[in-house]
Amino acid sequence: MILLQTLIHQTYFLMSAVIAVLLVTRLFRRKSRPGLAYDIVYAYTIIPFVLRALHIK
Amino acid sequence: MSERALVARRVALLAASLVVMVVGSTDIRALRAYRETVVVSEAFTRQVPLSTYFDGVRGTLMDVPVFLFDSGVPGGSVLILGGAHAYEPASPMMAYVVMENIAVTKGRVFVIARANMSASTLGMLGNAYPPFFRVKTPWGEAKYRIGDRETNPLEQWPDPFTFVHYPSTQNLAYQDSRNLNRTFPGRPAGNLTERTSFAISELIRRERIDMTIDVHEASMGYPVVSTYVCHERAEEMCMMAAMMLSAEQFPMKTENSPKSLRGLTHREIGDFTESLAVLMETPEPFIDKFVGPMTEALMLTGRDEFMQTAADRGLLYADYDMKTGATLDYRVGRHLGGAAEIIKQMGEFYPEKAVGVSWPTYADVMEKGIGAFLHDPGKAPRERVFRH
Repeated sequence: MILLQTLIHQTYFLMSAVIAVLLVTRLFRRKSRPGLAYDIVYAYTIIPFVLRALHIK
Repeated sequence: MSERALVARRVALLAASLVVMVVGSTDIRALRAYRETVVVSEAFTRQVPLSTYFDGVRGTLMDVPVFLFDSGVPGGSVLILGGAHAYEPASPMMAYVVMENIAVTKGRVFVIARANMSASTLGMLGNAYPPFFRVKTPWGEAKYRIGDRETNPLEQWPDPFTFVHYPSTQNLAYQDSRNLNRTFPGRPAGNLTERTSFAISELIRRERIDMTIDVHEASMGYPVVSTYVCHERAEEMCMMAAMMLSAEQFPMKTENSPKSLRGLTHREIGDFTESLAVLMETPEPFIDKFVGPMTEALMLTGRDEFMQTAADRGLLYADYDMKTGATLDYRVGRHLGGAAEIIKQMGEFYPEKAVGVSWPTYADVMEKGIGAFLHDPGKAPRERVFRH
């Protein structure tokens, strides 16, 4: 049970890292919505995922 | 825009975001990394990790130090549990003042100052809490963490849709799965907070703790403020202690632990161990929802004009005057006096469980402030200095 809880807990950190990488990729490589506003949104939405992946917040 | 210019713009935005992240998380990282210093008194016997009593918390932030002060003279035993809710700072501060000044002439005293260490490493979401508060001492300022009510999600996540308390199966709010004062008596195969509760319950059982005093603070708009909350086995001594305190020191009420509200220390420790379970609440304006800016000054002084308005309209459950507020000294002093009195009453009711103990009194703290009772770690013997 504890092992399962630990696995689920660590999966969340992993998911955060994957989403952060995905957002960085989309910031640089996307075909739709190329405007500045979307660049800004992609750039700042990375922050919480990086903070979680790095065990900071 | 050329492809090169587009890439340059995006690199610049990503760099700016990372700068914002690093700068913005400075306080968060500082709070999580900071360790408080305590200089234990000459009565100190030994320190063991909580995992000594249950291995399920080993290697986690919840494997907190348990400090023992043993007189060597047969008598009763007491556990002082501080910091179950880290956002109630008079609780760990009371434990620290006890640890730094305690003298024990009979029996044993165990102290856990930061029962939920994890909760003390993050701020309270949405409340704009300052991360630290500082206490002035004769040798400088001592800095302490103001934490959250619940275990840090970095240690325990995700929350369930509904928290089902073990073993009663009562449904509680989802965030209570991370609330140390809703997870007692604990579950060995449960989540980290439940395992911590179980470890503390095991400590109480194995060390044959006669009385457990769980130290809290309450908002003044909450009826259970300035109160002992007692398991029915401790009911009479709580009433005596409250009467003595109200007559001689400060207003104190007493209330029985509700049998239908599960997971709290005063209910479950009383039901699942032989210990007499007592919880103490002191008035803390800082955690009321209708106060003004939640600043370090408010936490230290308890002075707030909105609180005064609520008091004028009869909405509070304790006396309040903005001129005096509810200072940290007052709140810690109340806890020191409240714990000393209930321990004294235990000895009156059960002489075989008597514990001879002394630490700064309510009057001492009101006169000199708690800073006068915190010792300079720079001048203390190294074996008595702990980082916490």
